Amino acid sequence: MKNFALAGVAAVFLGLSVSGGIAQTKLSRNEIINSLQGAQQKVDLTADELQKAAIENIEKYPGANAPQSLPLADKLASLRQFNVEITFDFDSARIRPESYETVGLIADALHTPYLQGQTFFIVGHTDAKGARDYNLELSRKRAQAVREALVTTFRVPGEYLFAVGLGEEQLRDPANPDAAVNRRVQLINLGYK
Amino acid sequence: MRHLIFAFTTGVLLAAAPAAGAQTVGFADAIKILAASCGKDIESYCKSATLANNGITQCLAQNEAKVSQKCNADRVVVISLIQERLAAQAEAPKLCNRDAQQYCKGVQPGAGHILRCLLKAAPSVSKKCNTAIDLAGYR
Repeated sequence: MKNFALAGVAAVFLGLSVSGGIAQTKLSRNEIINSLQGAQQKVDLTADELQKAAIENIEKYPGANAPQSLPLADKLASLRQFNVEITFDFDSARIRPESYETVGLIADALHTPYLQGQTFFIVGHTDAKGARDYNLELSRKRAQAVREALVTTFRVPGEYLFAVGLGEEQLRDPANPDAAVNRRVQLINLGYK
Repeated sequence: MRHLIFAFTTGVLLAAAPAAGAQTVGFADAIKILAASCGKDIESYCKSATLANNGITQCLAQNEAKVSQKCNADRVVVISLIQERLAAQAEAPKLCNRDAQQYCKGVQPGAGHILRCLLKAAPSVSKKCNTAIDLAGYR
């Protein structure tokens, strides 16, 4: 499935739902704050290390789908985090207007004293359709686009925000690798530096 | 960042504190106006512009002659709403400094502890500080 059929739809998502398959209520700033706050002390993991781990996973276990999740998976799972859906143009890192509000909500949350001064990863994920290295690169560009919008247009201090693309290396629902639930932007709190 | 009460954004904005009584809106509420009022124009004229670096509002300004009247009016509003909220958030720690010292003695700064304390002490906190918290969207 070479042609990263990243989806047959016009707009591909890199994002997804707020908490499983429960009926979605409207996303709020406080929901993001509540999920992200309360980080333990400093976490010993850099964005570069995480990015590298994903690339190595593809090199070490080539194939259409990753046979196993990242070695760092457990560590990541233990951190304060939140998943949002952000829609992008097809095959592009351009955020679509319908997702401006979501990016604004992230800015609202990160600008509160509850989260200021803590370090966050903005992690892009795709589903498992298409080539893994392609997915990884696209998700990385999309995570960077979200970071850029936050740092420039919304003036979130850039020294605390790091973009990472994990492609399909860290599926949310490994039993259903092509499911929409896997497409998401994940915010992870790495705590105070 | 220890000593910063609110750990506010690295002093970018000229602190044009909004006039007393003025209101500010959050970033999400501001930017969604852009999607609502300019969504069509964005897709028509700004297909390659991005949200970063105010790229969308700049592109819309460049295509001013073509975009809808409502969009032209609102794109300017959106920019000022974002600036006002940023300014209010930069001001809040300064305007609440005295109250924080008075009512939040011994509260460890960071992770919103001071803000939580000020919110709890709201009935005693100065009007100046309470207003600043409102304008910053911190309540």
